[in-house]
Amino acid sequence: MSKELKKITENIMDQIHDKKIKMRPKIYFIAGSVLTFVGLVSSIIISVFLIGLIRFSLRTHGPIADYRLDQILSSFPWWAPVFALIGLTVGIWLLRKYDFSFKINFKIIIIGFILTVFASGWIIDSIGLNDLLIRRGPMQGIMRQHNTK
Amino acid sequence: MSEIQKLTDEEIVEKVRSNDSDLYAVIIERYKNKLLRYATNLIHDNDRASHIVQDSLIKAYININGFNTKKKFSSWIYRIVHNEAMNEIKKYQKETPILDDFDFESEEDTIKEFEQKEAVMLVEKCLNSIPLIYSEPLSLYYLDEKSYEEISDILRIPMGTVAIRISRAKKLMKNICQKN
Repeated sequence: MSKELKKITENIMDQIHDKKIKMRPKIYFIAGSVLTFVGLVSSIIISVFLIGLIRFSLRTHGPIADYRLDQILSSFPWWAPVFALIGLTVGIWLLRKYDFSFKINFKIIIIGFILTVFASGWIIDSIGLNDLLIRRGPMQGIMRQHNTK
Repeated sequence: MSEIQKLTDEEIVEKVRSNDSDLYAVIIERYKNKLLRYATNLIHDNDRASHIVQDSLIKAYININGFNTKKKFSSWIYRIVHNEAMNEIKKYQKETPILDDFDFESEEDTIKEFEQKEAVMLVEKCLNSIPLIYSEPLSLYYLDEKSYEEISDILRIPMGTVAIRISRAKKLMKNICQKN
């Protein structure tokens, strides 16, 4: 055993007593987990609505493809994918940095996220939730814009 | 003090969190030797392994509020040491030195020896000669007496993979250690 290891208890406890090392407060970890969760859920919801919106727009505007594309691009909320990207990046970074105890397969999380977004978007569009969104909900402005042009 | 010794790691962690930081010394005493052996098996250098163990125990203290006491503390602290050791290996990716007292003594049948207590010594010697992805789960299983589930938690690989790697490690050990 090395000399350093023999002193390891003394070294660490001295640093604790001298306040050179301090525990991170619990709120730090709670806030990190909550923010990550909220970020991920928000990203999924926003992405789901965007996919529904795109499919909805393509269906309701007839065969003029370029015109439809311009319409979508002109009103596309670009903040949403930025938000999703930042949310995922920060979330994964936080989980990797502070979580030591759970097995997290980030490949599965990302693939699951993408599949969830596309599947949910398609389901929402198929069951006609978009029609409801024309009349109410947070996306009504954008939906109406597409529907009336 | 004897009452404290009866407490589980997780119970001690709860007390450390609730303002009895002196009890962290008990955790250090319980783990420092095991962690040093584990770290040494990973990086084959006693001094660097000591630093890794110290840094890991400090990191564990700083992040102790992030530990879920429903999980096993030992898996958590081993995971931290694993991470620190992997960072160290990446930093010094040149060849890893072999311990001074290392040799390749042959035995008649290494696999049979695993079943016996004396095998521990042989395992420690031969471990250094097989790739890390095999030696690490084998070391955790035989030397640190971790279950497949705990090894799976520490290395973040499925339990099936743990079993396969241990099985391959045993075959490799048999081949390599018997040849030398």
